[in-house]
Amino acid sequence: MYVRRFWPEERSLHWLLAFTFLLMLATGLILYLPVFAELAANRRLWKSLHLGAAIAFWAGLVVLLASDTRGRLHQTAGEIDRFDDDDVRWLRWAVTRRGLEPPQGRFNAGQKLNTAIVFGLLVVFTASGVLMYLQETDAAVRGRTSAILVHDIATWIAVPLIVGHLFLVLVNPSTRHSLRGMVLGSVRRDWARRHHPKWDGE
Amino acid sequence: MMGEKRLGRGAFLSVVGAGGAGLLFGDRITSALRGPIADAGAVVPNAIKAVFPSGWRIYAINPPWPTFHPQTYQLEITGLVRKPMTLTWSDVAALPAVAQTTTFHCVTGWTVGNVHWKGVRLQTLWDMVEPLPSARYINFVSMERDYVDTLSMSQSTLPEVMLAHTMGGAPLSRAHGAPIRLVIPEMYGYKNVKWLHRIELVPHLHPGFWEQNGYDVDAWVGRSNGY
Repeated sequence: MYVRRFWPEERSLHWLLAFTFLLMLATGLILYLPVFAELAANRRLWKSLHLGAAIAFWAGLVVLLASDTRGRLHQTAGEIDRFDDDDVRWLRWAVTRRGLEPPQGRFNAGQKLNTAIVFGLLVVFTASGVLMYLQETDAAVRGRTSAILVHDIATWIAVPLIVGHLFLVLVNPSTRHSLRGMVLGSVRRDWARRHHPKWDGE
Repeated sequence: MMGEKRLGRGAFLSVVGAGGAGLLFGDRITSALRGPIADAGAVVPNAIKAVFPSGWRIYAINPPWPTFHPQTYQLEITGLVRKPMTLTWSDVAALPAVAQTTTFHCVTGWTVGNVHWKGVRLQTLWDMVEPLPSARYINFVSMERDYVDTLSMSQSTLPEVMLAHTMGGAPLSRAHGAPIRLVIPEMYGYKNVKWLHRIELVPHLHPGFWEQNGYDVDAWVGRSNGY
């Protein structure tokens, strides 16, 4: 009836990122948006939480990679990296919605692209955030880079990605069953066949 | 036979590369576009502007922000002066005011241009209280506990220094230091004390809050704090 879609290693990484990212988004918006500026009067508290969540994410990632003795995450990264002809066709189909949906594997091409962009953004957030942290205290770094601008733009790219992701897993009827996979690990076999026909489901 | 493309790492590296280029060149690109961006900003309704960042970041050290009560507010001018004074809010509002449009620079790297201020020159106050010759520095004390910053007497009468009570045509908001803040565009924001309620003329320099935390006493924009 149910087939395993996500390994515990993948789910751990997903939820590590989900919780730390949402904490960073919430504290970041408090520090950033004028309507929350009065809350941010306690700037030190929000800043510590914001930086603490970032450190927790990277520390957690190191722990997950170190404990991933079966190499699941490495394997997942490889799956996300490789796009076959159907994946390329799927991206075109996702934009034009013309013809039949090209068959997809365990991850569809949109999920692959989203994951790759999110990890790129994590590097950009971290690099610009470290520079922002340093330039508040270190004169040698101040004014040398456009760290604040880059951190802001990365946020404006990340937020629509998160909103779209939440819509697909919480609201959209045909795709929201995938949330079960990320919470419990398994999805219905008939759902998997329909959405991910090239994935054998082991 | 299926072709296979490494689009995943391509997308990842593109984002990282764009971020790196942005770190190096982003400010130069946006300053080249500043004219068109400002033109576009002029048509955005104020309600939307209130939600989205205007470029300002409000820093405070001891939440919550002080609250201004027009009935009880007092501005005290004390220390080495011949005629110490305590002004009520209506006294302050009645002082001769001047207007200026200047740029506000924060030491952490952000800048807000074209800020329209209206307020009182310090020379107006000095004419009223008559500083003694021994007065060499001024402590500007905030209603926010423990926040104080200083200027020398000669810095206090630089051309664009004022006690501002109006910003962008409206009374100074609580976030920006209601009812009055010190404005000295020549120096970084931490010298621009918000929620001002006491001005003390003193013989010796007492470093201000951020100066006790390692920032320069003379916070000249572009010429201090390592810039």
